[in-house]
Amino acid sequence: MAPTDKFIPVLASEVPTVENGLISSDGLTYTFPIRKGVKFQNGEPLTPEDVEYSFKRAMVQDRDGGPVWMFLEPLLGVYSTRDEEGNIVVPFEKIDKAVEVDGDNVIFHLKMPYPPFLQILCQSWSSIVCKKWCIEHGDWPGTAETYPKYNNPEVPPLQEIAMGTGPFKLERWEHGVEYSLVRNDDYWRGPAKIKRVIVKKIDEWSTRKLMFQAGDVDICYVPRLYMKEVENLPGIINVKNLPELMVSALFFTFEIDPTSPHIWSGKLDGDGIPPDFFKDKDVRLGFAYSFDWETFIRDAWAGEAVQRPTPVIEGLPYFNPDQKGYYLDLKKAEEHFKKAWNGELWDKGFKMTLLYNIGNEYRRISAEIWKRNIESLNEKFFIYIRGVEWPLFLKDMVASKLPAFRVGWIADYPDPHNFVHPFMHSEGAFAAWQHYKNPHVDELIEEGIKTIDPDKRREIYYELQKIYVEDCPSVITVQPLGRRWFRDWIQGWYHNPIYPGFYFYDLWKGY
Amino acid sequence: MELKHYIIRRILLLIPTLIGVTLLIFAVIQLFSPVERAALYIRDPRQAKDLPGIIKKYHLDEPVYVQYYYWLREVLKGNLGYSKSVNMPVFDAILNFFPATIELVLYSAPLIVLLGIKLGVLAAIHKDKAADHLTRVSSIIGWSLPSFWLGILLLAIFYGQLGMFPPERLGTEASVYVNSPNFIRYTKINTIDALLNGQLWIFIDALKHLVLPVASLTIQIVALIVRIMRSSMLEALNRGYVLAARAKGLEEHDVIYKHARKNALIPVFTVTGILLAGMLTGVIITETVFNYKGIGYWAAHAATQLDIPAVLGFALLAGVIFVFTNLIVDILYAYIDPRVRLG
Repeated sequence: MAPTDKFIPVLASEVPTVENGLISSDGLTYTFPIRKGVKFQNGEPLTPEDVEYSFKRAMVQDRDGGPVWMFLEPLLGVYSTRDEEGNIVVPFEKIDKAVEVDGDNVIFHLKMPYPPFLQILCQSWSSIVCKKWCIEHGDWPGTAETYPKYNNPEVPPLQEIAMGTGPFKLERWEHGVEYSLVRNDDYWRGPAKIKRVIVKKIDEWSTRKLMFQAGDVDICYVPRLYMKEVENLPGIINVKNLPELMVSALFFTFEIDPTSPHIWSGKLDGDGIPPDFFKDKDVRLGFAYSFDWETFIRDAWAGEAVQRPTPVIEGLPYFNPDQKGYYLDLKKAEEHFKKAWNGELWDKGFKMTLLYNIGNEYRRISAEIWKRNIESLNEKFFIYIRGVEWPLFLKDMVASKLPAFRVGWIADYPDPHNFVHPFMHSEGAFAAWQHYKNPHVDELIEEGIKTIDPDKRREIYYELQKIYVEDCPSVITVQPLGRRWFRDWIQGWYHNPIYPGFYFYDLWKGY
Repeated sequence: MELKHYIIRRILLLIPTLIGVTLLIFAVIQLFSPVERAALYIRDPRQAKDLPGIIKKYHLDEPVYVQYYYWLREVLKGNLGYSKSVNMPVFDAILNFFPATIELVLYSAPLIVLLGIKLGVLAAIHKDKAADHLTRVSSIIGWSLPSFWLGILLLAIFYGQLGMFPPERLGTEASVYVNSPNFIRYTKINTIDALLNGQLWIFIDALKHLVLPVASLTIQIVALIVRIMRSSMLEALNRGYVLAARAKGLEEHDVIYKHARKNALIPVFTVTGILLAGMLTGVIITETVFNYKGIGYWAAHAATQLDIPAVLGFALLAGVIFVFTNLIVDILYAYIDPRVRLG
């Protein structure tokens, strides 16, 4: 597996480090010497001004649901350029000052030290665009006064077209059908070995499988449910047990909306649960010790997942391999349930609903495991499992109406901050819906992201992993192990868990 | 009433019909909360923080009449909205996906109708004989087969085993050529464009890809026409004018094909109109199984994702298709049966 904290300079001629002086000792300034002699696909030379424009344009645009919060946080200390009402709250001057050109270099001024900044810059949202070409095609002209006009567009000006410095050019995009990429013969690292890549959307599995078998498809996404059908077919290779930078968990809501229908009577009277049911740590621990990871991994994941004690999973820096977590122990679960709510819970019992979104078998199976084991402890315990469509699930989740919810998290960038923040920080994506707040945890997370010294960071993230297990704000179900499926004539592939798909430049066809 | 006036009146009737259909859809959509409708824009739980902004931007929390007003105002300006499920304007999505369905219907509908009439007549004139039983049994089997199962079976045999008829609309090489500047996509109907561009190899490639979806649709739908044609033909054969024709000494061939069949065709026309409109507005399963992405695939995909502008755009298209198909059928009635008067 490729490491996720080592870097190869591409459009920068050197990777900034504190040692080479390109990252200032306070971690607030990053200098990128821009590689010379690189050309865009239209023949225009790459300049530091293009790099500067690319990042400013991204921040100016900042679309709803987009990835730009990842720049905004380290550069401006905010998550969005707008408030909840949609009004712009970040003045252009701030965006303008965050990135600047100095000779052949581009300098980023950070609001605070932000160790994963390099990881963030390594991904598709940091792609460099040609300023001149963008403006010619109706994109942001680079001026302060046009910032509001280009902020959060419904359809971005470059929605249908793309042009960069990379090894493949976008040849065609038939929405919802397929897109094709054609080799850029003038790519500065030399042309790719593959001339054209066509990515198709084939919804029907049987059709996709037949095309894969026939060799009309070289690389195929095979849903876990169908893996057995193609596992031993001639000419098809599958590489398994690849750690994915994703994790799923059962999150407990500490303050459930009292109007939620999923808490039944809303009281601890045997016919429901009170809104603060999960504030009692013994309830959470009772749930944690009731989960059967072995069965779940075998039945839902066909054995292709691993149990992890915390959201800092393998593949991330500062993953603690020695951290202990929970395991199935119904005796311990019983002990905790007996202690919960001063023994009242055990005497009165409870009723609650666990929702899952229809089609997500992992969530259904995990809910059933919890139901079966918890109900086996006390006949007064009742968990009702209900499948609903994703919009309904989402609606109740964001409104803190779900007593507990099962969702997954995929890395935006490979750093533990990207995992501990949503899982543990009181303002994090999941913790906020849960209303989980531990001031010490918040402090540690805020310190971790500002700390440059790797040893100190290790200490912080190890401590957070320890607290996570002690506090049990959620229970990690699994870190999935992925597979890649391709025909045996595909060569050059290696696993890098942060790639969203295959990196076509490295591939070729042959035996 | 003059034909011209009749057509104008029917077209004018289209406007209230479409308003009614779209109002109905808007009313049904209100059953979903603003958050549920905004969920289309949220693929990932981490983006949920943007929900309030999305709801405000698309007026999802406004009263239904305000939302309808915004939509209708844009439609009148020629803007059908943006289909988030395929990331393109609704109008473009229709232009993109509809030609595939038209092409499928262009080849399967004539086959279904002609074969259905032929087999229906055959079954009727050989009533209770081997040909009749065979036609009826095979058409019932075809009608009863689940379309996804039949499609997959055909694919497994003719593509998987024999390597003859691949899925999708074109092979890789042809697809690259069709999308190159050397090829002009006049209609986006591949077989027609191939001929207009003088590229016979693309025409053949497109035909090869059409064989299985057309066969699948024909096997399934032809049964309906066969059954209607057979019963209508049997009824016609028992009519007095057929007896009279026979009594006059006309050849049996002429009695059947010139007299009885023409009259027996009327109910077939009615069904064909509805059938055609139905096929044009979506043969979802066939399009999905053969990865032949047409309008039905797009509409179903959009509906499952609560892509409201797309669903409304599709409803408008479907309304127009049904109204025009019925209009054509009515005009054809008058042509076939002079007793029918348009009014």
